[in-house]
Amino acid sequence: MIMTGGLRKVALAAHITLSVGWIGAVAGYIALDVAAATSQDAQTLRAAYLGMELIAWYVIVPLAFASLLTGLIMSLGTKWGLFRHYWVLISLLLTIIATVVLLVETQTINYFADIAADPRTSDDDLRALGNTLVHSVGGTVVLLVIVVLNVYKPRGMTRYGWRKQHVKKPDPEHKE
Amino acid sequence: MAHPPPDSNGYNGVEPTADRPPGTPRWVKVFGIIAIVVVLLFVAMLVIGGEHGPGRHTPSGDAGGKVAPSSVMEASAQSEGGRG
Repeated sequence: MIMTGGLRKVALAAHITLSVGWIGAVAGYIALDVAAATSQDAQTLRAAYLGMELIAWYVIVPLAFASLLTGLIMSLGTKWGLFRHYWVLISLLLTIIATVVLLVETQTINYFADIAADPRTSDDDLRALGNTLVHSVGGTVVLLVIVVLNVYKPRGMTRYGWRKQHVKKPDPEHKE
Repeated sequence: MAHPPPDSNGYNGVEPTADRPPGTPRWVKVFGIIAIVVVLLFVAMLVIGGEHGPGRHTPSGDAGGKVAPSSVMEASAQSEGGRG
């Protein structure tokens, strides 16, 4: 079903807000991740790990799912479709991959936060705990690639999209 | 008539017609190559580095990330010893 102009704009505004919000939330997370990677101060480390867990669960994960959902609505409710154009298809795949990696990474984030919240954890163990920078920076790169694809919409129709287009538009010579 | 040259979007220049589906654009092929390289790098890291995921941060490599660091283990052992 193709959305009407007004509804389409509301859905587009929601999708842009949630998707860009996802990138912004990851940027805030990276600030804490860098602190976890570089700081030697035990209090800073504890605060960073606990903050990373809160941002991940209450901001990044909801935004990821909301962005995926509004992206599906936007593609299915407009002429672009979900599988008709390569830029839509690749954006969808990258969003799903980013969301799955995020969900897997929350296990590590939970582990860090549990250890940081335990008052028995020594300062040395806190400093040796590690970080998730590879995933958070890598995830940001993937999200930026998705933004570029969505803004530039590079040409290229899939075979499925081509078939759909030709089913909808029969050869005018065959019309009686 | 010759096919138009590839444009700035990296389109492969093969325009779809009523009886010919479009070819895969160049930029999609580049994306595919990058994806294959990333997957190969990931597999190589798994083979060389071993553990991936929460387990790599735990002392015994526990995949579930359930093992506490040594200071917590020692504190637990002391509190249990104190009780006995």
